Amino acid sequence: MAEMSQTLTTATPSPRLENLRRGVYRFRRNPLSMVGLVMLVLVIIIAFIAPAIVPYPEDAEGNVRALDRLKPPDGEFYFGTDNVGRDIFSRTLMGTGLALQVGVVIIVLATSIGVTLGGVAGYFGGWIDDLLMRITDIFLTVPALILAIAVTAALGKGITNVMIGIALVWWPGFARLTRSLVLSLREEPFVEAARGIGAGHLRVLFRHILPNIASPIIVKMSTDFGFAVLTAAALGFIGLGAQPPTPEWGAMINDGRDYFPDRWWMATFPGMAIFLMVFSWNLLGDGLRDLLDPRARR
Amino acid sequence: MILRVYLLRRLVLVIPLLLGLSLLTFTVSRILPGDPVGLAAGPQATQEIREALARQFGLDQPLPVQYLNYIGGLFQGDWGQSLYSRRLVLDDLRVFFPATLELTIAAVLIATVVGVPAGFLSAVYRDKLPDQVVRIIALFFVSFPAFWLAMIFQSILGVTLDWFPISKRFDVLLAPPPAVTGMITVDALLKLDFNAFGIALSHLATPALVLSFGSLASVTRITRAAVLEALDRDSVRMERALGIPYRVILTKYVLRGTLIAILTIVALEFGWLMAGAVLVETIFDFPGLGLYAVESSLRLDFEPIMGITILYGIVFSLINIATDVAYGIIDPRIRYG
Repeated sequence: MAEMSQTLTTATPSPRLENLRRGVYRFRRNPLSMVGLVMLVLVIIIAFIAPAIVPYPEDAEGNVRALDRLKPPDGEFYFGTDNVGRDIFSRTLMGTGLALQVGVVIIVLATSIGVTLGGVAGYFGGWIDDLLMRITDIFLTVPALILAIAVTAALGKGITNVMIGIALVWWPGFARLTRSLVLSLREEPFVEAARGIGAGHLRVLFRHILPNIASPIIVKMSTDFGFAVLTAAALGFIGLGAQPPTPEWGAMINDGRDYFPDRWWMATFPGMAIFLMVFSWNLLGDGLRDLLDPRARR
Repeated sequence: MILRVYLLRRLVLVIPLLLGLSLLTFTVSRILPGDPVGLAAGPQATQEIREALARQFGLDQPLPVQYLNYIGGLFQGDWGQSLYSRRLVLDDLRVFFPATLELTIAAVLIATVVGVPAGFLSAVYRDKLPDQVVRIIALFFVSFPAFWLAMIFQSILGVTLDWFPISKRFDVLLAPPPAVTGMITVDALLKLDFNAFGIALSHLATPALVLSFGSLASVTRITRAAVLEALDRDSVRMERALGIPYRVILTKYVLRGTLIAILTIVALEFGWLMAGAVLVETIFDFPGLGLYAVESSLRLDFEPIMGITILYGIVFSLINIATDVAYGIIDPRIRYG
């Protein structure tokens, strides 16, 4: 059986594979998205090797070097030192992993909730759809940032609660998108065929419909990733996120606020780090949209 | 459908939305852990003081009763009382809302005035150099953390260059013009007090500029897509064949065809920026809803938060309705219903 399907695929490449190949070609022709991809790969590599390459890994914890307070960038401290003498270069690089992790958790949580609710609403229709979409509307009416701040404050400060708070306000976008995509496929012949041979509702929804609407959802995941990181940094900046001495970028900028602009390096480098991370996700997302979402290809 | 009936129906539909909204924020405030009463009473408070405080604010009642009391109060103009400052929430909202509204309007104006022409340029020079430059700049600005940019602009424009004041809405040593709308620039113009207008505007300039960055990219992108779509129409080909100058086609026919899309994105961004004002207000110590929301959240003072979300709900719904009505004015083919 496995052999047979193999020969079949080599004989006539599946249209999905062919599309993918064409997409990869288009993606590679777009210099901006390639830059984004390369930057992102670098960011991920840095996140993994940071503890091994930074000069002062112990500065990511509560290390204090009173003699090295507020030193400007030089050959020893590339990004300068902060108000308790910690190396900002080490802390910024060590913060990369945390930022990535936060983005992944928020996006995965938000996508899971949103796709499930949106998929169920679109597939079953009727009162289930009405109920779920009214709930979604309510969430969409509250300003996301304020609700995220309120939820996180109520749960208590900390990076885990930041992720929960943001994910809780992030899913409605995914629910809306998934619902509209499911609606457009619900009456297609292949769905009817699957139903006809006795597939259950959940199987039809998750095995037959979902793979066919994955592209726009992936595009949204990648464009939202950067903004999720931004939002988490904003909450960290307000003081709700990772507590000291964790090297969280938003909190680091907040630490540097009192010393800005005279000791500009404290806030500038974590800010640049956030920017680079978000910018590369946005470049990538822009390229992916051109590639996977044909309606947006203009 | 007649406009009046349509409006009435839409307005009635806002009520269940607001009920849902209040239930959501109520749930967040009462069911999640955290000890608002303990925080408001202070660390030295005895058990009796806490209980007295809880009783005073009705927090000793069962949750459903608390919720019904709250809803009942809403309709009678009693939006609750801050546990922290003991001020009435509605009084606070009256002061803070116009500030945020003024800031948001200014930011939306900037984003529209810059973003729409940029999107136009991008579409007309599609895939050429100007297009690429505009797209990169737009992505660039939207990728900066707003609070970080706010800090940098504050120190460059406010401290280093000393062009604009660094915080607040008005000169602290002067009295602002009498509040009519609560938006200081508008109040100053109503009094024909151009000096005060200048002062208020200079306080508004930097925060509004920073806030507008968040929307520039989407306004530009949507305008670009809409112009490209409009350019692709047969009518445009016809107009070109007739020898109408390209400039006239763009400004007269294409622009009109993109108004709906531009209106949609501007209305959407208005809501977004109003919420995004939180961070900018925090940096510029700009006494608006956002600053109020952050301070209240950090104190676990949930009555103001509930008031703020409900107010936002009302504003968002009104914007949506106004946008839908405007569609019909721009394009008479669109019917209300």
